[in-house]
Amino acid sequence: MADFHKADIEKLIDGVLPWPATQDMLRSPKDTDRFDKYVEIMQERVGFSDTILLPLTPNLFIVASDNGRVVKCSCGCDFGDYRVNWKLSALINVRDDEKSISEIYKDREMPDPGWIQLREYICPDCATQLEVEAVPRGCPPDFDFLPDLDTFYAEWLGRPLPDKVEYVDKTIDEVKTWDK
Amino acid sequence: MAELSLKERIAANTDAFAKTGYLFGLESLELKESDPGTYEAVWHILSNACDAAWATGCKVSSSPIAAEGGDALWGLHTPTGEAICISRGISAHAGLLSDMIKNFIDADYETYPGFKQGDIFENNDPHYGGIHSPDFDMCMPLFYGDTLVAWASCVSHVADAGAVTPGSIGFLNPDCYSDGIAISMERVGEHDRFYPWYEKRIRSRTRTPDFVMGDARGRLAGCITLRERLQDVIDKYSLEFISKAGQEYVEDSRRYAVGRVKTQTVPGRIRKSQFKDLAMKGKRVLLAKQDIDCCFSLPMELTINADASVDLSLKGASGTVPFGENISPTALKSGLMMGYSHIVGFDMFNSGPISAWNIEMPPAGSWANPYPVDFQAASGVAWAPAVTWLSNLYEVFGRLFQMRGFVEEMAAGSATIMTAEFSGVNQNGVYLTGLTLEQASNGSPARGYSDGENSAWCIYTPEADFGNAEISELYYPILFLGRNVEPNSGGYGKYRGGLGHTAVWMVHNTPGLEYQCGDAGMRSKTVGNHGMYGAYPVCPDRPSYAHDTNVKELIDAQQPLVHKRGSAEDPEVGKMVKARDFEPAAIAPFVTPEPLVDYDLIVHPIGGAQAMGDPITRDPALVLRDLDEGWTTERVANDIHGVVAGKPNGHYKIDEAATAKRRRKMRDDRKKRAVPFKQWWASERKKIESQENMDVAVRRMWSTSMHLSPDYADELRAFWQLADDFVFTEGE
Repeated sequence: MADFHKADIEKLIDGVLPWPATQDMLRSPKDTDRFDKYVEIMQERVGFSDTILLPLTPNLFIVASDNGRVVKCSCGCDFGDYRVNWKLSALINVRDDEKSISEIYKDREMPDPGWIQLREYICPDCATQLEVEAVPRGCPPDFDFLPDLDTFYAEWLGRPLPDKVEYVDKTIDEVKTWDK
Repeated sequence: MAELSLKERIAANTDAFAKTGYLFGLESLELKESDPGTYEAVWHILSNACDAAWATGCKVSSSPIAAEGGDALWGLHTPTGEAICISRGISAHAGLLSDMIKNFIDADYETYPGFKQGDIFENNDPHYGGIHSPDFDMCMPLFYGDTLVAWASCVSHVADAGAVTPGSIGFLNPDCYSDGIAISMERVGEHDRFYPWYEKRIRSRTRTPDFVMGDARGRLAGCITLRERLQDVIDKYSLEFISKAGQEYVEDSRRYAVGRVKTQTVPGRIRKSQFKDLAMKGKRVLLAKQDIDCCFSLPMELTINADASVDLSLKGASGTVPFGENISPTALKSGLMMGYSHIVGFDMFNSGPISAWNIEMPPAGSWANPYPVDFQAASGVAWAPAVTWLSNLYEVFGRLFQMRGFVEEMAAGSATIMTAEFSGVNQNGVYLTGLTLEQASNGSPARGYSDGENSAWCIYTPEADFGNAEISELYYPILFLGRNVEPNSGGYGKYRGGLGHTAVWMVHNTPGLEYQCGDAGMRSKTVGNHGMYGAYPVCPDRPSYAHDTNVKELIDAQQPLVHKRGSAEDPEVGKMVKARDFEPAAIAPFVTPEPLVDYDLIVHPIGGAQAMGDPITRDPALVLRDLDEGWTTERVANDIHGVVAGKPNGHYKIDEAATAKRRRKMRDDRKKRAVPFKQWWASERKKIESQENMDVAVRRMWSTSMHLSPDYADELRAFWQLADDFVFTEGE
């Protein structure tokens, strides 16, 4: 079984690992401790001290916080319960007319705003653009991933988390509390 | 006890899998465990035999699609149809071929007409599991002595299948009766020869019969090659070993894929929406019902279970369209198997990995399951919505691999696929129609650690190859004026997708040539995919053409011609060329309103792939390289990547201080411009209620999606807090 150095994984994350070494990683049987090494690297890089339970994206993490399992941006911004689509706690900039879309796409590159809107999800603190959706009006935001965290830790990693929460999508419950 | 029929063996295999969780009930892989060296060696011998079939078959084939592009596939199957291994080539078809063999068995062909050595069976009919009529699926039972020991299979994409419009990308087909010649689960030959009536049908019902029959002989030659190779392997290793090993390879691959899911992904629910357009209103169509714009909803919901099995749902898929862009569930599953094998199960590409999937039947009456509601639905280019939908799978697994830290395995979604097809009389006075190979060489998706590769990837085949320009010029009455990397075609992100390329053709030496700019997964009104991790999506596909031009005068006067597309801000076409009919950025797909003539021009761009990551985190050195190569523009560098570059000495140079300042300002501007989601939601839901600025095609799409999937409709209404009876209306 391969055993890659943490320093090389860091280089891979930063896009500076030489191609032959990257090919070696692609070809070799996977290292069984990669998840732990990756989380360790990310934990050193983020701007918060809560324990990372799962990196959702390169910038968003499910963490064990005083408020339970929440999604945090690498800058530390809290997006709330991981079972509610984090996009509901983001800032959003929507490009749905020619003027705003033309800031990105010019002339023949322009999509038709009657068919598609660009939704930019922005971190309220560090202003990182976390996701961009290209969807027709009416499409609910994609809840990209709702992990079954307890199964993951208990059955796949063999080390159950100290607490247990229900594996359920709570996005609609959150929306129901909003004023129309 | 009497020997079981093949149909009974399939039933027994199904039972054994259900009871044990192992394919064929193989709780242990005895050959692998007892003699791993031979086990591995024989796998490679069989794999090599399939490749030998591919090489032989392609050489015997006539059309440039197979002969030049290698756009074909051969496979070796167990007696019950499971693919053991396949050749190089269009791997998207492995599942189709496997299901076709199972269909022949299920329909009792073993009893009548029976299976014997030298029989040739074919199907291209979507109603019986085919994908679209130009993809001729073939299989031959392989006997060792009196025993049926395996099947050889093949598919090749023929130049013309006799559909209502010339060629093989039948997006204009209004119904299945216009899809072309149907080979509906037929025995088409015996004793290694095609029936004479098969050839007569090909000759009277396809436009390029020499090519179509040549490709048929190519398929046959490859299958016979595979049979002969298998005979040698059995002679050497014994029938018992090969029969057992064949099953073990399939089960081994299933275990590999399940193991990989468990060690490299995370259990949970994944959702990814996807959309594509098919804008045909006001264009040249065949029937009045086609004067319509269509939008597809192509949703993917995956659930990875505790046992690493995968549930798949297309809940919310929109309805059928009156064009050739509907697909049978069998064909869709085959595409899925191909994508999954690329991503997860590629160690031994066979039927194993997909057996761990529980695929919910797509909504009846949707583009992905048309026949229960619309038996006449056309499938002339059924791949078009399917590969667009499949693009999600690459991104979805890219996200999962990232969560476990396997950055080297991350990929964004794929490129769009816009085809170019010609029909007319060529420079040799021969009528020809067929597909160019340009679309078989897209940019590859961005990776977790680098940009994608330019012009080096194609979703439906690992054989990404646009072929030699000179070969295309031999077949078609065209001359290449250029083939260039297309700037800014890979989205904008920390890492961009590989860039596509643009072909510039001049029509030459023909009395008239139709240019069909086809949809095999293109998007022209919408963008290609979302923007993974904050990237901007790939821009729409917009080709150009100029008809009745002054190009001859330009050549005579030795003036510059058009050799590239140029950037959106500075397009090349139109600078020098004058034309009676000039389309600088046409909405695809379409067929030219009238045949093109000598000295007409076509500028046909091929898509790049999806990017990933916030574009203002892109390494300025990568932006500098792209500027130097002409792969991006100063506007994109500055406005989207926040990279300030100048040309102080005639060469691009980054102003690092100005770049840092610009990027800080861009972050500030984002915060000023954006609003809390909840605030936007409150205003957006009102616009949804009033259906403000929603094209009729979009409203029709939502209407059918919600009608066909009531659960999906309920959730959509709940998210926007719409009335329980809210529906989108289709009126103009």
